[in-house]
Amino acid sequence: MYPFASLPENLIAFGTVLRHDYGFRVGLRQIHDALRALEIVTIADQRAVRNLWRPILSSTADEATLFDRAFDEFFLQRHGVRLERTVDRGAGDAPAGPHARRGAKRERESTIIDSAIESSLPDRAVDIDDIGDAEDEQEGILRASYSPIAGEAPPPEIGPADPAWQDAALAFVRRVQTALSRRWKPAPRGSRFDLRRTLRSSLHTGGEPLVPRWKARPRLRPRFVMILDGSRSMSPYASAALRSAVAIAAATRNVEAFAFSTELQRITPAIRRAASGRFTRLPHLERAWGGGTGIGTCLRDFLHRYGDRLLSRDAVMIIVSDGLDVGHPDVLRHAMTELRRRSAAVIWLNPLIETLGYEPSSIGMRTAKPSITTLAWVGDPGGLYRLARTARVS
Amino acid sequence: MMDAAAIRERFRSRGFLVDDPFATALQLILALDKPLLIEGPAGVGKTESAKVLSEVLETRLIRLQCYEGLDALTALYEWNYPRQMLRIRMTESEDAPLAEREAQIFGEAFLLKRPLLEAITQDQAPVLLIDEVDRADEAFEAFLLEVLAEWQVTIPELGTIRARHKPHVILTSNRTRELSDALRRRCLFFWLPYPTLQEEIAILHARIPGVSEKLAVQIGRAMQVFRAMPLQKAPGVAESLDWAMALMSLHRDHLDGVALEQTIGCVLKVREDHELLDARRQELDQVLDGSRPLDPGGHSLSTDFGFGSVSRPGS
Repeated sequence: MYPFASLPENLIAFGTVLRHDYGFRVGLRQIHDALRALEIVTIADQRAVRNLWRPILSSTADEATLFDRAFDEFFLQRHGVRLERTVDRGAGDAPAGPHARRGAKRERESTIIDSAIESSLPDRAVDIDDIGDAEDEQEGILRASYSPIAGEAPPPEIGPADPAWQDAALAFVRRVQTALSRRWKPAPRGSRFDLRRTLRSSLHTGGEPLVPRWKARPRLRPRFVMILDGSRSMSPYASAALRSAVAIAAATRNVEAFAFSTELQRITPAIRRAASGRFTRLPHLERAWGGGTGIGTCLRDFLHRYGDRLLSRDAVMIIVSDGLDVGHPDVLRHAMTELRRRSAAVIWLNPLIETLGYEPSSIGMRTAKPSITTLAWVGDPGGLYRLARTARVS
Repeated sequence: MMDAAAIRERFRSRGFLVDDPFATALQLILALDKPLLIEGPAGVGKTESAKVLSEVLETRLIRLQCYEGLDALTALYEWNYPRQMLRIRMTESEDAPLAEREAQIFGEAFLLKRPLLEAITQDQAPVLLIDEVDRADEAFEAFLLEVLAEWQVTIPELGTIRARHKPHVILTSNRTRELSDALRRRCLFFWLPYPTLQEEIAILHARIPGVSEKLAVQIGRAMQVFRAMPLQKAPGVAESLDWAMALMSLHRDHLDGVALEQTIGCVLKVREDHELLDARRQELDQVLDGSRPLDPGGHSLSTDFGFGSVSRPGS
């Protein structure tokens, strides 16, 4: 069942694959816990081992879902892992045939294990959560990936936003103001007298309430929800769209990002990693990148899956799309109406409005327009500054 | 230490059904001494699982309910300042030195222990439930990280109090906001989805012993249909139990059109959802009378619709 003879080797290699190929946040602490936990199950029982490692090695619902596939691919090779070199050493190096594939996999895992073990040595003083980065910097690491459309349109690599983008995003985030919170919170100046804190502070003055305390309703922190169109027609603009998403994520933690083509997929972890200064590739987007465009169905899917927890009067929706939808207009109309009803603003960023004489007359744009509060395009930091000035948020 | 099978059995005896993956996650809390973060849609039994765990371990359950604006002091301790002020007034005429009077009013008798301090001062490790942690502010989450890592609290007037026994910690989240990576890294994670049809029927029988098989199956099937609809508030297991109780109190042993009209308020709690059901009523009727089978492998059985398409682990 297990690719390597030694258990720690298997576990470290599996952890590295989870981190690199699936974007899991697995550090040495988790690997250590996973090893320790094996004491409570029979190691030969793969179902028990799977149940044991899932809560330890995954930390989000998405990761828990992906875990079983990763486990199968690594330990049972159910999906037929396709091996590729991330850094080409020359086509002539690799022999053909199934045995050669197994050899390549072995080589890949050996490299990963060597680098993981090496970087985990105590005298290296490596941050346990940054092992993945250290490995990225090494040349010649072989990686495995599985995607039905990976060969057609690989999602782009994203990196940290440059200072100009960051400044523009900060200006945008500061400018956007949503409604007041319903809760009253302690504040230096406010409209409601805070009896409890006034009494509490009177302890310092011998029980005489000399200093009055106040409560106020703070303004809600806006939550930015970005939905990026990754279809083929948007490929020339994908880079700018992703840059703006990374820049906004660098300016505030309150960001959620999704990509869609014919299916919707959450890409927030990758965007956050890039915003924190690391180069990363959008993982396993499959039908959410490089295909046709199903805006209506994807927005409906978003409402269905994430609407409850992401949409409220502090949510600012940012949809980046050219509006060339192939679905039924009623689906898009209903989804857009719902988005508008349940959020503070719907900002639509359409690259085509930069084109001279452009009118939003495509069926998709015509259908969506009544629910859009601001129509603009952000292709550079200047565009984001302009958006900061013109965005209408209720 | 209890193994997963023993945990499953003891939970079952208390009317709470857990599968192997969940029982293993609960076992890991005890084996690794790490907090378990349970996420999932509302009403699937996240909070209840902590209550039952405390019963299984025969220990106290201490609950910290999180909300927006919750601060560290409210979660840790507060001084009983009305009592302190009373004592100051009463001892004003005494000639005791200032230091002595100060020591009196900052003693343990004037300390109000809040859930976190209460949890670390127990003689037996309690189950600490930090409920709906996603509703607390990020600042509180950072404070929580420190407590979960050190298990000690410093009170300036009293000194540092260390945990006698590490509590067994369960955190729950409905994902109203994303939790920080740092908190997630320190926790085990378990996604608790809606139950499958068979599980829901078993839960109904376990929690409501008198329910008829036909009614349990009908409620289970109806729930699968509701959760497949794009409702604003998808019903959880709690709604399913309420519905069964309501129907039984009306002496119904099966679900028909009249009973549905009378009791649908137990399940759907948003006006728009009622309108949606009216528009798609035929779909529900077909599933209830058996003329249209439920998709056995489809998302209606194994997928959570409230919070993302997440298949049941291990299925």
